[in-house]
Amino acid sequence: MFQYSFGVWEHITTVFVFAVFLISLLTDGYLYGVIAAFIGTISVNYAFTFPYFALNFTIPVNLISGLVMIAIAVLTSALTTKLKNHEATKAESEKERMRANLLRAVSHDLRTPLTTIYGSGTTLLENGDAMTEEQKNMIITGIKEDSEWLIRMVENLLSITRIDSGQIKIIKTPTVLEELIDSVMLKFKKRFSAQKVEIEIPDDMIIIPMDAILIEQVIVNILENAVLHAEGMTCLTLSVFTIGNRAVFEIKDDGCGIDQKRIESLFCGDYTPEDEVVDSQKKNAGIGLSVCATIIKAHGGDIKAENLKDGGAVFRFTLDTEE
Amino acid sequence: MIQNKYKILLVEDEANIRNLVATMLDTAGYQTILAESCSIAKALFTSYLPDLVILDLGLPDMDGMDLLDFVRKDSLTPIIVLSARTNESDKISALDRGANDYITKPFGSGELLARVRAALRNNRFSADEGKLPGGRFTHKELVIDYDARQVFINEEEIKLTQTEYNILALLSENCGKMMTYASIIKAIWGSCVQEGSIKKLQVNMANIRKKLGDKPGEANYIANELGVGYRLNT
Repeated sequence: MFQYSFGVWEHITTVFVFAVFLISLLTDGYLYGVIAAFIGTISVNYAFTFPYFALNFTIPVNLISGLVMIAIAVLTSALTTKLKNHEATKAESEKERMRANLLRAVSHDLRTPLTTIYGSGTTLLENGDAMTEEQKNMIITGIKEDSEWLIRMVENLLSITRIDSGQIKIIKTPTVLEELIDSVMLKFKKRFSAQKVEIEIPDDMIIIPMDAILIEQVIVNILENAVLHAEGMTCLTLSVFTIGNRAVFEIKDDGCGIDQKRIESLFCGDYTPEDEVVDSQKKNAGIGLSVCATIIKAHGGDIKAENLKDGGAVFRFTLDTEE
Repeated sequence: MIQNKYKILLVEDEANIRNLVATMLDTAGYQTILAESCSIAKALFTSYLPDLVILDLGLPDMDGMDLLDFVRKDSLTPIIVLSARTNESDKISALDRGANDYITKPFGSGELLARVRAALRNNRFSADEGKLPGGRFTHKELVIDYDARQVFINEEEIKLTQTEYNILALLSENCGKMMTYASIIKAIWGSCVQEGSIKKLQVNMANIRKKLGDKPGEANYIANELGVGYRLNT
């Protein structure tokens, strides 16, 4: 008898139980596990237990081993199914958490400039006559600056919805690098006219398929980020070069660099309670950079931030160029 | 001198923006005529014959595009479109239906007035010189001699190819007007936009800009609007 040659005669039920367990674990849902349990019960009963080669469920031992097998199948399947569902919801909730963080940060951040604008407006209306020209100018400058800030914030949010509306994939159109940089610099100079930016781009005509409005937003965000946060910066450089069929965009400054602790979570848009004490412009940086990361990822590229050895930080992202 | 003021018809349904733009224009010395809907705007346009129309695309009674068609039916009055839409295709369709330029909301007064000046100047220029380019075009250091088909910067001749010259001449005849890719391609190659034709235009444009000494981000002769077209700045 071949059962003897395996030497598992007494353990045959255990072997079948193990098989049922494995099948339940590795398949989706309950069906396969339960089927395996039935087959196991019947074959053990038929071939390996007394009376041999006949079905007999009247003996309590056979009945119990059958029931145990089915129970194991059902329980294991239930457990694995739950685990798999859990993982799916975890990924979903991670996305949801990021979105909620962003929303919370944004709505919190919208209130600050709105307060200035609303307050300034009412003050000017009610007490405008009693104010000196200088005071009025100060208040009006405040309105202008805070609205500029709101504009940038809304532009970032619009970019996110442009991607986040899900089904709509990014529409890439071939864009001439030089024209992109031209457009970026005009936009940037409108706000920071005093900041000089060194530009280094190849002489050859480089065409990169992209959603130009979104990539423009990425570069402007990173440049603005440098102006607002790189303290002690004297030189800001925007350079683009190609390696094979990838274009590498580099934005380098010689400012104070990035806090090593923050560098990891820079692109996640995390909104932690301790951020609440820093001024609103700092938080906007977080949102701006997470928008950058979302945009670059949607283009199939990479984005990274690093501190430079001799001070300052560099932001680098890549895009595929046209063949 | 009141009579010599340029008349600008402003069509905008949002009262706050209407007041704001009207104030910007008034303080810059233009006479403004206000309309809050398409039908009022049509009536005012016919009776006042303004020198320029500033038009918001999202109007309550009719889409602003209808007014665009109405004005373009029998006049060349420059039209500047105000739009909250950032979508390129909206801009392109407004330009292709006869708008001279567009400004995306939000905008500052400097930006608006620059576009208004450019549109008015462009209209005067083409009205004075007629359709056929004759004589010269001058802007800053750039001089285009239409008869000799020569281009100079600081009195030094810039060597352009035939196609490059044709493109530059076209832009100069329409200076201050945003020209879409499609309209340039049609005028230069006489064809509709096909596979590769935009790229051909971009290559030529890159050469022209290089030869004119334009550098990215500087106040250049030729402005580019990504995905839309080009404009010769004035």
